[in-house]
Amino acid sequence: MKYSILSEGDEEPMDPVRKNEFDSEACGSIAPKAKPCPRPKPGEAAGGCSFDGAQITLLPIMDAAHLVHGPIACAGNSWESRGTLSSGPSLSQYGFATDLTDSDIIFGGEKKLKDSIDYIAERFAPPAIFVYSTCVTALIGEDMDAVCRAAAERIGIPVIPVNSPGFVGSKNLGNRLAGDALLQYVIGTGEPEPMSPLGVNLIGEYNIAGEMWDIEKLMNSAGITVTSRITGDARYKEITYAHRAKVNMVVCSRALLGLAKEMESRYSIPYFEGSFYGAKETTYSLRQMAFLMNDREMERRVDRLTEREEARLSQDLRPYRKLLKGKRAVLYTGGVKSWSVISALKELGVQVVGVGTNKSTEDDVRRIADRVGDDTEYIPEGGASRIIKTVRERKADIMIAGGRNMYVAMKEQIPFIDINQERHKAYAGYEGLLRLAKELTYSLANPIWKLAASPAPWDKEAPPYDR
Amino acid sequence: MSKDELNIKDNTSLFKEERYVQQRENKKQFEAPCSEQETAEALAYSKSAEYMEKNFNRQNVVINPHKACQPLGSVMAALGFEKTLPFVHGSQGCNAYFRSHLSRHFKEPTPSVSTSMTEDAAVFGGMNNLIDGLENSVALYKPEMVAICTTCMAEVIGDDLNSFIGNARIKGVISEEYPVAYCNTPSFVGSHITGYDAMIKGILSYLYTRSGIESKPGSGAESGEKLNVMLGFEPYTGNFAELRKILAAFDTKYTILGDHSGNYDSPATGEYEYYYGGTKLEDVPQAANALGTLSLQKYTLKKTQEYISGTWNQQISALSTPLGIKGTDKLLEAISELTGLPIPASLTEERGRVVDALMDSHPYLHGKRVALVGDPDLLIGLIGFCLETGMEPVHIVCSNGDVDYNELKFKDEAEALLAASPYGSEATVHVGKDLWHMRSLLLNDTVDLAIGSSHLKFAAKDADVPLIRVGFPIFDRHHMHRYPIIGYQGTLNLLSLIVNTILQQLDDNNSGFNFELVR
Ligand code: SF4
Repeated sequence: MKYSILSEGDEEPMDPVRKNEFDSEACGSIAPKAKPCPRPKPGEAAGGCSFDGAQITLLPIMDAAHLVHGPIACAGNSWESRGTLSSGPSLSQYGFATDLTDSDIIFGGEKKLKDSIDYIAERFAPPAIFVYSTCVTALIGEDMDAVCRAAAERIGIPVIPVNSPGFVGSKNLGNRLAGDALLQYVIGTGEPEPMSPLGVNLIGEYNIAGEMWDIEKLMNSAGITVTSRITGDARYKEITYAHRAKVNMVVCSRALLGLAKEMESRYSIPYFEGSFYGAKETTYSLRQMAFLMNDREMERRVDRLTEREEARLSQDLRPYRKLLKGKRAVLYTGGVKSWSVISALKELGVQVVGVGTNKSTEDDVRRIADRVGDDTEYIPEGGASRIIKTVRERKADIMIAGGRNMYVAMKEQIPFIDINQERHKAYAGYEGLLRLAKELTYSLANPIWKLAASPAPWDKEAPPYDR
Repeated sequence: MSKDELNIKDNTSLFKEERYVQQRENKKQFEAPCSEQETAEALAYSKSAEYMEKNFNRQNVVINPHKACQPLGSVMAALGFEKTLPFVHGSQGCNAYFRSHLSRHFKEPTPSVSTSMTEDAAVFGGMNNLIDGLENSVALYKPEMVAICTTCMAEVIGDDLNSFIGNARIKGVISEEYPVAYCNTPSFVGSHITGYDAMIKGILSYLYTRSGIESKPGSGAESGEKLNVMLGFEPYTGNFAELRKILAAFDTKYTILGDHSGNYDSPATGEYEYYYGGTKLEDVPQAANALGTLSLQKYTLKKTQEYISGTWNQQISALSTPLGIKGTDKLLEAISELTGLPIPASLTEERGRVVDALMDSHPYLHGKRVALVGDPDLLIGLIGFCLETGMEPVHIVCSNGDVDYNELKFKDEAEALLAASPYGSEATVHVGKDLWHMRSLLLNDTVDLAIGSSHLKFAAKDADVPLIRVGFPIFDRHHMHRYPIIGYQGTLNLLSLIVNTILQQLDDNNSGFNFELVR
């Protein structure tokens, strides 16, 4: 097998995926133990809470209503602020909240919750309502489960409690708790149309900037169908029959691994962890799907497709690789993206000289280590100043991180690419890698950096950072 | 490589390509089993008066809120003081929201930390988190003051900030003198403006009390200080600049109490510094001796105003956001009255220029029906502006209007203002309502323009009404907050924003006989 994209650079081709690979811990009987999510440290500018994490995981179920049970804080500050795209319904864009006030805190908000659910069911007729607990409702001991159960009976649609108040921990933990809610209340409650071909569940793909659409297109052209999207651009119904899929792919979300594991033991669906960032990872993922589907013909189709796509990509990438070769980047992003994006960058010839690990598990860190050189700095914590320090010390050309760090990068006049939930470009798959290459070139080549780095003509002082 | 080769499609244009459109069509099978006809009927129903009534009878669920919570306001308030670190006592999610919310509006970083309370803190109280947090953040971010606010969680478990901070000092985590201001900001009461007020009052009273100064109003004149100015929860950094310009024209000395414009409009020098600008801490006790205080958001700053007039015994001039000609006139008169200085000729001249501009544009504004959403003080300013240009405010929604403030009622003032003008005769003021209510209003009784924050864009699009982005938050447009909307200059900015939107609409809708060059 020839991997054209890799033969150009100084990369080692990746071994074809075969049985022995599959038998390793990713899908085998000796499943890796889930590591506890790292505890937040007081006094730092930490990331989101579990509520946030749970909501992020479930909001892409576009036709469902998502009701936040708590004071205005959690909903008022967060509704409609993520770039997860929908191809149709937009109910999940609505900010529903019970908006508890002080008297509700004293006398309880269960009545309000009940009325809210009824109102939403009557006015918006959603296929399901997700109800999120928050710090306050958990603290005052609201029996959300009971209210939801009674409501579901009364109104005849699923009303799903998501017990993930902010204080239980990190965003990752919230993702996981959302997965638990799906397992407990959604998956296995429905059946697909009798004739629909079954295939792969995409777990932990949220269709940020439409990435899911690229992935699905790719899968379809190899003849692989998506059974359930969990949850990018999902409809409630498709998740109810996720247990009928033949394979689970856990895309870039460490925290939903538990969901895949549980589905393996309950429904004997094999799973693997994969990514669509970078050509290598994309090819690997597609091959792994076909392999686990146990369909020789499909495997052959995947081989043909990936070969063709890689060859074309390699052609298209040529001019960019020339420009990007040897460029140095600092990558600061959540969990799994920390290693999967490294692969993508490496294929473009960009060297990752610093990488954030604050939201990574030990496994993630091991994967990072597999992909970077010895002189890459790990940034475990410390926020913006630590990232900047790394950029300076390692003489990085570009910073790749999320929105909250973007404006710090701008202050420091560092070229920047947004890789997290607010990005507006899709970077998954082969086309995505090409887009990433273009975007990197764009960012690096913009004339503003030269302008920014040169002081006013009458200012004799040198700019602080010599690029 | 040429520029064209680099062309990348964004997701709007990309996903219009046929293959993606097809892919989307295929998904319909998963959607709720509702025919297109049913959908159309439901949409039509949502425009009916009957539905509007149902919507307005809705008691218990908020749909598309137009307010943020108290601690978000406190974070903004804390950033108005020099080298002050906002410190949010609660679980960590809230703080992450505040940082991204504020950063998305200002397009600037927001330094703010959290005590990251977890389950054990929920059971045993958050004291250890607060003490550890203080130790870590002071070491890490080297602030000169820490400003602590609570969140709903800390409030529900009843954490006592005062004693916790005291214990931190006893434990030696911070020294006896190290300044730590604080306030209580439960999210289940009020909104971001209430929290802003609480923190400003918290900081002023803390710094004043510890200084040991005894306030002597007016004695500051000798030391050169004459006037205190407060802008409130101010989403426009440009408004600070405009106000400075006006005060400079008066040639008066002043102290801005709570100036976050430095933090939210700092230059890209190549080095990020965490803290930019802000009111100097030592200026705060001195402010107690000023001639008087000018407050530009009287509904926002209620508690602070009470404190200043009570404890500092100072004359207060409390206005709402000074928008439009009359709003700005009031501002100048208030400055003149508090300082005893005459109104500078340069400002009178500027006034004349802006009046001229308003006259130039008035044919396009006259009779335009407008819907307004915002915080109370902004709305008072906007209503005034609309009325003086001949625009007719029709629907006014204020989610965080004062339902329980006794003496000073936004709704009453707004209604009186509207009643005083024939252009206000059709208006209704809705306090405590959300953007889903506003959607009903827009669909049921349509208007020409909607004015409000980015959050209003969904309802405006449903009703096919152009949205003029004013207020907070503005996430989806760049640099709006850098242009002032207060003062005569701000009035001009607002005017051109509005009139040019109207003119653009005329062009967009006309390709035929009246597609004209001269307007
Ligand atoms: S930490 Fe708690 S109160 Fe804050 S946003 Fe998260 S769930 Fe809401």
